[in-house]
Amino acid sequence: MKAVLTLVVAVLLLPVYAMVAVSSASDANDLGGLSFDLSQLGAHLAQLFGQGGFPLYLRNSLVLALGVAVLEVILSGAAGYALAQLRFPGSRALFTVIVGTLSLSPIVVLVPMYLVVKALGWIDTFQGMIVPFMMSAFGVFLVRQFALALPRELLLSARVDGASELRIFVRIGLPLLRPALLTLFLLQFLAQWDNLLWPLIVANDPGLWPLPVGLSQLQTEYDFSIGLVSTAALITAVPPLALMFLLQRYYVAGLTLGGLRK
Amino acid sequence: MTRLSRRALLRTAALATASGLLAACGSDPVAAVPADGVPRGKLSVWLHQTKAYDKVFNPLLHSYVQEFGGVDVTPLYVPVDKLDAKLLTAFAGDVPPDLFKIGGWTVPGHARKGRLAPIMPEAMGVADEKALVQTYDEHAIGSLSYNGQLYGVPIDYTICYLYYRRDRFLEAGLDPDKPPATWEEVAEYSKRLTSADGKKVGLQWILGNPQWTLMQLLALVKGKGGAILSPDAGKATLATDPGVEALRYYGGLGNPKLSNPLSGFGLFATGEAAMLVSGLFAMDLFPTLNPKLTFGKVFDIAPMPRWEAGPPVAPAYTWGWAVAEKSRLQYTAWHFIDYLQREDVAATQLKDASLLTPVKGWEKLPGADQKAIEIMADSAPHADFGPQTPVWNEMAKALTDAADAVAFGKKTPEQAAADFDQAMRIAL
Amino acid sequence: MTLSLEIAPRVARVSGKGQRWAEARTGGLLALPAALYFLLFWLVPFVSAVYLSFTSYDLAGTPEWTGLANYRRMLADPGFWNSAKVTAVYTVASVVPSIVFGLALAVPLSKPGRYNAFLRALIMIPAAMPLVASSMTWSVIFADQGLANTLIGLAGAEPKPWLTDEGLALWALVIMTTWKHLGLFVIILTAGLQGLPPAVFEAAALDGAGPLRIFYRITLPLLRRTLLFVLVIAVVGAMQSFVPAFLLTKGGPAGATEVLPLYLWATGFTFERMGYASAIAMVLLVAMLALSLAQFRVLRGGDDE
Repeated sequence: MKAVLTLVVAVLLLPVYAMVAVSSASDANDLGGLSFDLSQLGAHLAQLFGQGGFPLYLRNSLVLALGVAVLEVILSGAAGYALAQLRFPGSRALFTVIVGTLSLSPIVVLVPMYLVVKALGWIDTFQGMIVPFMMSAFGVFLVRQFALALPRELLLSARVDGASELRIFVRIGLPLLRPALLTLFLLQFLAQWDNLLWPLIVANDPGLWPLPVGLSQLQTEYDFSIGLVSTAALITAVPPLALMFLLQRYYVAGLTLGGLRK
Repeated sequence: MTRLSRRALLRTAALATASGLLAACGSDPVAAVPADGVPRGKLSVWLHQTKAYDKVFNPLLHSYVQEFGGVDVTPLYVPVDKLDAKLLTAFAGDVPPDLFKIGGWTVPGHARKGRLAPIMPEAMGVADEKALVQTYDEHAIGSLSYNGQLYGVPIDYTICYLYYRRDRFLEAGLDPDKPPATWEEVAEYSKRLTSADGKKVGLQWILGNPQWTLMQLLALVKGKGGAILSPDAGKATLATDPGVEALRYYGGLGNPKLSNPLSGFGLFATGEAAMLVSGLFAMDLFPTLNPKLTFGKVFDIAPMPRWEAGPPVAPAYTWGWAVAEKSRLQYTAWHFIDYLQREDVAATQLKDASLLTPVKGWEKLPGADQKAIEIMADSAPHADFGPQTPVWNEMAKALTDAADAVAFGKKTPEQAAADFDQAMRIAL
Repeated sequence: MTLSLEIAPRVARVSGKGQRWAEARTGGLLALPAALYFLLFWLVPFVSAVYLSFTSYDLAGTPEWTGLANYRRMLADPGFWNSAKVTAVYTVASVVPSIVFGLALAVPLSKPGRYNAFLRALIMIPAAMPLVASSMTWSVIFADQGLANTLIGLAGAEPKPWLTDEGLALWALVIMTTWKHLGLFVIILTAGLQGLPPAVFEAAALDGAGPLRIFYRITLPLLRRTLLFVLVIAVVGAMQSFVPAFLLTKGGPAGATEVLPLYLWATGFTFERMGYASAIAMVLLVAMLALSLAQFRVLRGGDDE
């Protein structure tokens, strides 16, 4: 069993390895090899970091991805908890809208969303990139599913003790929801880290561009090096991977709801 | 949500569309010519970037800003395949850039929607439109007008060539100095160049790409005496003998299953394809894809083939500089464009970036490879920019669907041609 | 967490008007940002999309009311039907293996142990790889001499033209998306599995039930809510999937990977027929809602509203 699992995981990681191999490729003829040439990779790295915009794109990506992820955790966390544990007017309507939103193709709201952002005067601003994605139907849905499983005796006894609902949310709900919230944080960070279309449309100022937009400059239709583009992809993957390993303890163990078993 | 009354729903809808309406009204553009004729203001420019062109454009921009102190220019480079989407959202939101680079084939579509400002001769140092047209290659600039009104000036003009691999010709026992001149010869050569397993082929079409599909088929259909759209562009006419024969020929060459991340360009670079239809820009492209590809030694160019019994057809395209109708700085924008189009600039651009600005007398511009320019000059009288229609994108996509379906053997040429005509009936 | 908690009916609440008022106030407060956000960024755009679906709107000027014309056009549009078919196949083809493989991996991986934890960490790596940035690598993987062909070559198969064969291209996309999402599904399913009460399994084992029987009779039913969540996410994700086809095949070869969202994109942003694109989006929305509802029905646990 162990051997089979190890093999499966190894196969899943092969494309990642391929990315490293391709990053060291020098020209169109050198695609299939799984060998790599470290000096080529070094040359690509030097070329990328030599480009003026790269550190800036990196900073912008961090602002964008962290901004969205933090807001998402706070706002979707609150809404998901409220929908699962509290009765309030309009909760059904809100949940219906959220489930409907889950099924709405983002492409078709692109233009209306753009008009809203423009009406708010947010074209070419960080808030124009962040606010339209600061919550997600997925996020509220995820938190709600987890919050439904919170131990009711705990909440109930707090109520009997006379704690306010807000206090119960902050002192009991939030800590117990931490695994779900961290998972959400990670997923939203990844999604924004990889978002190309919206920042491209909203930001006309290259000083605001995040990595995917900035790096897409390397890849025009007839004018690019596959090795260089793959190297860029590789670098782009480093921060999310680091974040993932950092949060590992919480979401792998945490998602098991183990904390609730006590 | 079910509780929301219908009226509330309608009101929200009205609000949402109202924001669109407001966008459509906007403020009046300032088209006036300043009394002193001096350009002023902050211009925004959107263009797609190639490394080579960047080297030409950037110094120009700086020298312009230095010469005309009242002007500031902010360029924005957008990847070529994202430029259209970005322009569209900006147009829909009523915040387009002042000037931008657009494909000549999209001019009718944008012009019909009132997004483009007509050219402004006063800003370009000429008396009127006629005088301006005379400073350019007439075919190239002609492709940038719609309903008799000129909306841009051309840059990055090219006519299709037949690219071929001399090394593959030698291998197959063909004379690399005698490339095929007719489509019949192309078919014959292709047979000899195709390996038994079909992994190496003669001519390979660029499949799945609307712009190239259109140009490739245009040569075949027109050469047979047919047309893709009727002369008034009012209906599709592919389901005729020339159209069907062209599709049959199209489906008979190359191997659609050969794959490369760079499609036909990549296959030519690896040598899997021995022939390819492409434009002037590919002269510089191939050596970057494969350093072994030396022009004149490993690969070469020839005029676009013709049918034995048919007229020469030279599919062509040009990009153009255009100005937004909503721009408040139309005078300055056209003034800057004019600066970019000077003859000495055209020469550097051709030499450094293989991009041809078709100013009058471009045939004599120094810098480019002589052979490439000569072939283009010879083909120029037959330059064909394809059907001009506001629904160009839909047409090219439907044509690509038809051509791909034949190439992959999913439809007969007759069926594909009829389906194309049907699709265009809905679109036109 | 114990089983009784998970599927027990709501424990009686602290009752009374005061409690109801407190819940309403706090709930309203916590949900207010969400309500405003979804109203502004989704409901308004959504309602305008509904409206646009009954109009002819070419992204310039004013939308012109055309009634049901867009919906009628859809019926006669072969491009739409091709895309609908491709999307249906793609959804089934990517959801089924994701969930089956996900479960097959999650069951052994959910067992405690250092090595399993290590594998669980590794399996998430693909999920962290940015797809847009790495799409170029995937086209290289599927190229003639790429990794995909090297792998099947090891198994003795002939190299295949992954992205340029009409029969294969969709599967190439399925492979890429399954690779990307499998880790996440495994982690969520593992979470669900580890939350199940060990006592039930011990009892079943004492009764002499085999592992397969335990899996079908106990694990699967208890895992309902987690499965529902994964299924909804997977189906919605597959039906809205746009990026893989957009990046890798542009809908080709010969329309074989032209999924509905891609067709919608072309209709709206290339052909500039936003009214028609909105109508297509409405049909897609209704289909997805119907599917989501059906999934809720079939898999809903007693405690889920």
